[in-house]
Amino acid sequence: MKSATTAPGDVTSFSLGLALPLGLAFAIFFVLPLAQLVYLSLHNDTAATVWGLGQYVKFLTDPFSLAVLGSTLLLGAEVTLTCLVLGYPIAWLYQRSGSRVQTLIIMIVLLPLLTSVVVRTFAWIVILGRQGIINSVLQSLGLIGTPLRMIYTQGGLIAALAQVQMPLMVLPLITAIGRIDPNLSDASASLGAGSWRTFVKVMLPLSMPGIIAGCTLTYAAAITAFITQSLVGGGQMLFMPMYLYQQASTLQNWPFAAAISIIFLFAVLAIVALFSTLGRRARGYGDAR
Amino acid sequence: MLLDRRRLLTSALTLGAMHAFPGLSLAQARPLVFATFTGSWEEAHKAVLVPAFRKANGDAGIVLDPMLSVDQIAKVNAAKANPPIDVMLHDPGPALVAIGQDLVEPYPTDKSTYFKDLIPEAQDAMGPAPFFQVVGLTYNPETVKTPPTSWADLWKPEFKGKVGITNLNSTLGTGWLVEIARMRGGSEANVDEGFKALEELKPNLAAVAANPGALATLFQQGQIDISPGNFNAIQILKARGVPVEFVAPKEGAIAFKTTIHIVKNSPNKELAFKLIEAALSPEVQTTLMNPPYLIVPTNTKVAMSGEIAKVLAKDTAELKKKFVFQDWKKINEQRASWIEKFNRDIKI
Amino acid sequence: MSRRQRNWEALSFQIVMTVIAMLALILIVSPSLVVLIVSFTSGFSLKFPPPGYSTRWYVELWNAWQLQFAARNSLVVALWSTGLSIVLGVAAALAISRSKTLTAKLLDSLFMSPLVLPALAFGLAALMFFSLIGLPVSLLTLVIGHTIVCVPYVVRNTVAALAQLEPTLLESSAILGASRLYTFRRIVLPLIRPGIISGAFIAFMSSFDNVPVSLFLRDAATDMLPIRMWQDLEGKLDVTIAALSSVLIIATVALMAIMERTTGLSKRLTG
Repeated sequence: MKSATTAPGDVTSFSLGLALPLGLAFAIFFVLPLAQLVYLSLHNDTAATVWGLGQYVKFLTDPFSLAVLGSTLLLGAEVTLTCLVLGYPIAWLYQRSGSRVQTLIIMIVLLPLLTSVVVRTFAWIVILGRQGIINSVLQSLGLIGTPLRMIYTQGGLIAALAQVQMPLMVLPLITAIGRIDPNLSDASASLGAGSWRTFVKVMLPLSMPGIIAGCTLTYAAAITAFITQSLVGGGQMLFMPMYLYQQASTLQNWPFAAAISIIFLFAVLAIVALFSTLGRRARGYGDAR
Repeated sequence: MLLDRRRLLTSALTLGAMHAFPGLSLAQARPLVFATFTGSWEEAHKAVLVPAFRKANGDAGIVLDPMLSVDQIAKVNAAKANPPIDVMLHDPGPALVAIGQDLVEPYPTDKSTYFKDLIPEAQDAMGPAPFFQVVGLTYNPETVKTPPTSWADLWKPEFKGKVGITNLNSTLGTGWLVEIARMRGGSEANVDEGFKALEELKPNLAAVAANPGALATLFQQGQIDISPGNFNAIQILKARGVPVEFVAPKEGAIAFKTTIHIVKNSPNKELAFKLIEAALSPEVQTTLMNPPYLIVPTNTKVAMSGEIAKVLAKDTAELKKKFVFQDWKKINEQRASWIEKFNRDIKI
Repeated sequence: MSRRQRNWEALSFQIVMTVIAMLALILIVSPSLVVLIVSFTSGFSLKFPPPGYSTRWYVELWNAWQLQFAARNSLVVALWSTGLSIVLGVAAALAISRSKTLTAKLLDSLFMSPLVLPALAFGLAALMFFSLIGLPVSLLTLVIGHTIVCVPYVVRNTVAALAQLEPTLLESSAILGASRLYTFRRIVLPLIRPGIISGAFIAFMSSFDNVPVSLFLRDAATDMLPIRMWQDLEGKLDVTIAALSSVLIIATVALMAIMERTTGLSKRLTG
């Protein structure tokens, strides 16, 4: 229904033309480059003259490349799980705290999100090193004789990535848990269900949208975390971002690098799609209750 | 036609962009870009060479972009017409490649003040050598009580999880692999035995460093206790009190010259020349030869003295006699495939 | 008996959750604290605890011209990208937020897509694109690349702020005879300003800290701070980096406090 106004058209909305400048910028500097990336990946030679699927065949039939892809996806899963296990209780605690503590928790969670990723990673080099804090503590307690090797290991990398990406998990969880009606838990308790049971049967399912959102963000961030992967993982562990960078920068094999990034891009999109399908299911599940 | 359209698009974009960004004018003179090596070389060049160059050239803008020679070549190759680097630093292998691929400018020797003062080996018209490097074994004397004497010591069980190496992108890594192969009957043309030996070394490996500079860092952090290493990569750390020592293995340490080149099509040729002149000058070379840098000089007016004379050689003649010089032309023939094999095989 | 059991059960749940939450919060904070402490070491390595304390690495920072050069470049690029993001992003947000057409929906997904796609792929694509059209890598190409990946934050936050705007406000303003521009300036803008500011803040931070795009679009002459720090860490693990990191942490905390005061940043990120 149109209200009686002197101005032509609806005054509550703005002309779509305002989106034109950004739309143009995206068309030229975002869509075109990505199109070119696809175009280049469909060539068999580095000079990009021979059309073909050679680069994709090369990647998908090469055990080495597939192993790199596999270990990247696995790394993402491990980090996401760690973040979920550690992050959920934070969100739970947040909802049960007073507003001052809430602000404090949010600030603590936000701090790493806004600190430079290089700084965060650097901290982990200090912590995990042979002369680092963990080894000094363990040694002074007499628990270990020689320092443990933690940096350049999968475990060390997971710990570092989990800390670096934690905010991406916690923030959606806080939102989701905040939307749960507290009466539901009370109802569950009054019906005789224990706290653990209530948690598993009521809290977890109802916070599923937050869990899914958090997992999506964490997963996508963990597998693309170039700096953390290269500094804490060290030269021996190769993941997709470094593989892509090496092929593009050191080896100047642009078509192959383009194919790697397309494959990587689809891997990320597939994960995001998977999570959002799960999310839709979960929401339906939650609504049904 | 396509080119024309492309050019049109470019100029349209460029014009529009320049209009939109008055502060970011593309004509902005860029600083001289000097691609040095990571670690101690970068520190030495930052502390000695760059100040000397700036002083002599009215505080000209310069930035260091430390990276391996192979990466320098890749970067320049990718943009030959408009190279992102003005001065390259190369060990013998990459130097041959860079010259072969026509990436470097001949050095203006007749204009040069110091070229004729260099030892004959350093007088390369495609790019003079400002210093020599020596590769042997480096170790932490606090944890390794008996100094190692041979490359073979790296395989000793007592060094389980304590050995560091670098990948084959560095001269250190490739040169060392060739020596390991030689120890077991191989040569510059055949390093199969070297790869077998690497396979056996795996239990001992603590880290594979991305470059020789990173190797020094690993010592500093106590991540590794022994590794093949460059003599001067550890000197700055040693001077700072980090426990690390160099020893030449009985099979013979590897020596090679490092050359410095003006990149073809560099927009900063004159400054590049000036920087190289500074690197060849007796003043800079003398400072770099003294502690904490201990970089082997090539200017005949700089006599080898101190720690270098004691540990390495009194002069170039002794250097040439005492150390192993490898055939990089031969190594280059197969190096790319070795690098690929190494990157696939060595996972610890 | 059963009630007692119930209490134990409830208590065990609360203890487990609280302990994990505390541990996780410590895990989140401790790295920053460790960096702050280590930056005051008197030694040359990142040993923890430090052998002694001094401010030598902060003095060293004063002389670190290469890091300063990179920091200046990063700042210039971040400021330009944020400025462009605000201008382009707010306009686009106005256009798409109140329109229900398919075009608006499509544009919305397009503008959000840099957040989903791996930025590394975009970085590589941008490098290839600029080299194809013959635009050499410079601060300009960096600004363009950064703007693309930072503008979604401005769009998203502005759209969110606009969504809370009462349409009746605009209508009554129009009925009272105010021009659209006047309504925008005097009514819309003040109401959505906090949203724009917090979006711009996040855009600025993510440009200043950007790695995947800078990795491909920078070179030595246009060095960017995160990349310089990364390369320094790979090559020589300089303690100077610890001092620089501490400076960055403190600057971040200060900025965060200001943003929280002025725009209620935390509510925006959780709401």
